[in-house]
Amino acid sequence: MGIHISVKNAALGVTLKMDIAPNETVYDIIESAAEFWKKDPKAYVLRKGKSLLTAADTVIEANIMNDDVLELLPDPEGG
Amino acid sequence: MMRAKEYDTDRFDRSKRIGWLDLDMVRRARCLVAGAGALGNEVVKCLVLSGFRDITVADTDHVVISNLNRCVFFRGYDANSGTKSEILAERASELDPDVRIASRNVMVQDISDWDSFDIVLGCLDNISARLHVNAHACYNGIPYVDGGTDGMIGKIQVILPDGPCLRCGMNGSHLGVMETRFSCTGKASAFYVPKTAAEITTTSIVAAMQVREALKISSGRRDLCIRDVAYYDGVSGEMSVLSVRKDGTCENHPCGGPCDNACKNNITEV
Repeated sequence: MGIHISVKNAALGVTLKMDIAPNETVYDIIESAAEFWKKDPKAYVLRKGKSLLTAADTVIEANIMNDDVLELLPDPEGG
Repeated sequence: MMRAKEYDTDRFDRSKRIGWLDLDMVRRARCLVAGAGALGNEVVKCLVLSGFRDITVADTDHVVISNLNRCVFFRGYDANSGTKSEILAERASELDPDVRIASRNVMVQDISDWDSFDIVLGCLDNISARLHVNAHACYNGIPYVDGGTDGMIGKIQVILPDGPCLRCGMNGSHLGVMETRFSCTGKASAFYVPKTAAEITTTSIVAAMQVREALKISSGRRDLCIRDVAYYDGVSGEMSVLSVRKDGTCENHPCGGPCDNACKNNITEV
């Protein structure tokens, strides 16, 4: 059974709804959201509340639950 | 007996009024600044003015005119003269004659004496170099304060020996580089570094925060440090501090527990 979440784009201030499977990874969520907003998924991270989620973690490992609102953050890499 | 206005003859009088700051320890700290670009310029400026006395800057790049919108120590006539690290070391030394700033015209991958440093400040512009510094800092138990910018967005990550590292909080770019580095084809040894938007206000804020974290660490106040990463949005002015989970599968924490020097003893180089 799928898990229903919302992903908020911090840069654009907009939100999308997404259904995810427990064995999908955090990076899968980032990739899907980035694709939806036509962004490069490599330049983003995902937060849940006060935690930065590890890209390689599965939905279960990241403790992502039904109705969670995750936030997509740009991850700056310049110096 | 104190003379009138004596406090104005001491360069660090105002710094000494900050309760938790241990200026003696700050002066003794040996700092490595990895990268002498925009962040490197601002970080070195803040390090010198904050009282750090032993600074090493590493970079092989040369100054180009487009650096001048964000690099306080570079001038137009520096273009294609010396390396960024040489020019930065020379100019920043003028801020305080008591500071020793050494320049190294090397890539971070060529640094071997990591135990010569007490703290590393990452001012890099690519993930490959960041992961390299992160691994050596973890292995040697050296605190690493990494900075990153992209236009109005900034990031400061504090990596302490007992906490999660840069790799624990990897994003897609990091993962991509890891896959490239460890691919068996041997073909992908150079990395494309995309040009990102860069301007001075975000750079200044990120660099100032990196040095503030270095001051806490050097003063023996790691308890005050950002845990673990701060994201800054210069458009809204918002700052978010997020925790990063220490990844049990991360090879930088082989013992699985607090990564002090005990980890170092458990690693066998092959």
